Amino acid sequence: MDKVFIGIDVGSVSTDIVALDVEGNILSTQYLRTNGQPIEAARKGLRNLKEEFKGDIEVLGVGTTGSGRQLTGIMVGADVIKNEITAHATATITLVPGTRTIFEIGGQDSKIIFLKDGMVTDFAMNTVCAAGTGSFLEHQAERLGIPIEEFGDLALTAKKNVRIAGRCTVFAESDMIAKQQYGFSKAEIINGLCEALVRNYINNLGRGKKLEPPYVFQGGVAANKGIVAAFERELNHEVIVPKNHGVMGAIGAAILAKEYIERTGRTTNFRGFECTDLDFTPTSFICGGCDNSCEVIKVEMNGKAMAMWGDRCGKWTNSIA
Amino acid sequence: MKVAFPYMGTTVIYKKLLELLGHEVIEPPEPTQRTIDLGVKYSPEFACFPLKVVLGSYIEAVEMGAETIVTSGGHGPCRAGFYGETHKKILKNLGYDVDIIVFDAYKRDKMGTIKRVLKVKNGKSWITVWKAINVVYAMAKALDRIEKRIEKMRAYEVHKGECTKAWKTIKEWFDHDVKTIKDVEMTEMKSHKLLDEIKLVEVPEEEKIRIGIVGEIYVVMEQSINLRIEETLGNLGAEVERSQYLSEWIDYNIMPGAARKEHELYILKKGEKYIEEIIGGHAKQTVGHIVDYAERGFDGVIHLMPFACLPELVSQSIIPTIGKEHNIPVLTLSIDEQTGTANTLTRLEAFIDLIRNNKRTKTA
Repeated sequence: MDKVFIGIDVGSVSTDIVALDVEGNILSTQYLRTNGQPIEAARKGLRNLKEEFKGDIEVLGVGTTGSGRQLTGIMVGADVIKNEITAHATATITLVPGTRTIFEIGGQDSKIIFLKDGMVTDFAMNTVCAAGTGSFLEHQAERLGIPIEEFGDLALTAKKNVRIAGRCTVFAESDMIAKQQYGFSKAEIINGLCEALVRNYINNLGRGKKLEPPYVFQGGVAANKGIVAAFERELNHEVIVPKNHGVMGAIGAAILAKEYIERTGRTTNFRGFECTDLDFTPTSFICGGCDNSCEVIKVEMNGKAMAMWGDRCGKWTNSIA
Repeated sequence: MKVAFPYMGTTVIYKKLLELLGHEVIEPPEPTQRTIDLGVKYSPEFACFPLKVVLGSYIEAVEMGAETIVTSGGHGPCRAGFYGETHKKILKNLGYDVDIIVFDAYKRDKMGTIKRVLKVKNGKSWITVWKAINVVYAMAKALDRIEKRIEKMRAYEVHKGECTKAWKTIKEWFDHDVKTIKDVEMTEMKSHKLLDEIKLVEVPEEEKIRIGIVGEIYVVMEQSINLRIEETLGNLGAEVERSQYLSEWIDYNIMPGAARKEHELYILKKGEKYIEEIIGGHAKQTVGHIVDYAERGFDGVIHLMPFACLPELVSQSIIPTIGKEHNIPVLTLSIDEQTGTANTLTRLEAFIDLIRNNKRTKTA
């Protein structure tokens, strides 16, 4: 029987699930589309995992991360519920020791994490702007009729440089249309877009801070060779893309769960794979208690309220003890 | 005369002053989504967030019957210096019949200030005014002492939310029970007794985390629009201290006498290396406070600014240098009308993780 620690990263675009053995080796990784249904995605991933090991598996601990960490954490009975910055950094420190700067570009957000001696010293995260994220690239690829999988390779074939405004998706898009009319090829425009994205990313998140190598690039967008090449040109230095770059958050969550269980000697809260069959429903309602009209999220399991949040005053959150 | 005031921080203090001067006080409600919606709707799009929320709060006060609004003006070169006038104009255009009395830096317009004081004085004798000011000043000091204690305690409370609840009760006591200096003393004692009863977890000194909150005064002081940052950090297990407290603001801006200004001048001096001139808002105080927190051994600083606030953008751009020179992590958060808290919470959690790890290796 395999003894494993599970990490689940529920993001806006993808839901990733990994299993580590007691030594920390990666036994299984999954990358699933969230499709706006985080719970379904997590359920599906757990079922796949059980099948993969033919049910012959003992779960010693579970960690969740990503924007859906709280919800999924309650469903599966997670031991550790951690923010994605700490999770990503934990995975990189373990898999690529000595890293000083992490570039992480995901579906709807991007982060930069600064490390020293295996510890996070600073970080930044984009807030309101989608210009540097996977969703924007996907949208542009679609507009140009290029499958996103070929996007990176095509960018590498560009012969000339095209400068595209990267500050804002709206400007970038109108710039791209203009440059198409100037007669630049698709490959060149795409390459220009990669460079614009990297420039914007470094300006916006780096904010003049010194970026020290070794650089590690992870997140879904790290699969895009065009972006990797643009990073290397901009920094004039090699950029490492780890093998499991797409599921680093989940790996980090699993490592954190493993560390927690080992440190405290506790047994896991994991509800078992049966939790995928539980009737687990999040609902939301607008509280009419005051003019704040908060949108309160209520999570019920088999008809029993498990957790509530979203209220500013704590009236509902504290109602469940 | 039905008088209202802008909502910021511990409002029972302004309310008390106006009441002691015999005004009928209309207290605007704590800003809610409706306040923000009203403010955003009627403010220029590019105006910063505090202007919008305060405008919304004024509209709500007028709806409740306020005829006069008393406020302090901003000074210095940032656009906040023009707020009083902008608010007047917008409210007039909306057809509200309301008088706004703005107290600006009195040195620039002494006659005007005297006229405004006479209006607010409400025909009371100068002795009454003097007494009222003394009571309210003592109250501001007492409330700030209590709040500072709560900001430390909240990190360790056994039952989450108890400190916040006690703070609410305490403000109600001050509102109802205080008329004289003696009352202030009694109520403060009673308040500390209430806090003594709150059960706390014992945390060893070396594991305690202390965070300073700096930035523009409105987003630092008004918890209803800054994601209740103090409670959030408290729940994550961090003690907090703000760069701004009402009594300190009064010391520097209103009370005569050089001794009272010392603290603020001391802070400004500390920031001098990074921002020489007063550039408006609280940019110079912000950098001064960061240095001060670093020197006092705080573990980190949260820098709050209204989205696109010019002075704070300047301080933001210098912060990486200050952080490096003084070896203190600083996290900047822009505050605007967003309601989604997930992104901010992620950053605050990661920031506390970073600090905890730092501490662990320092002590190990």
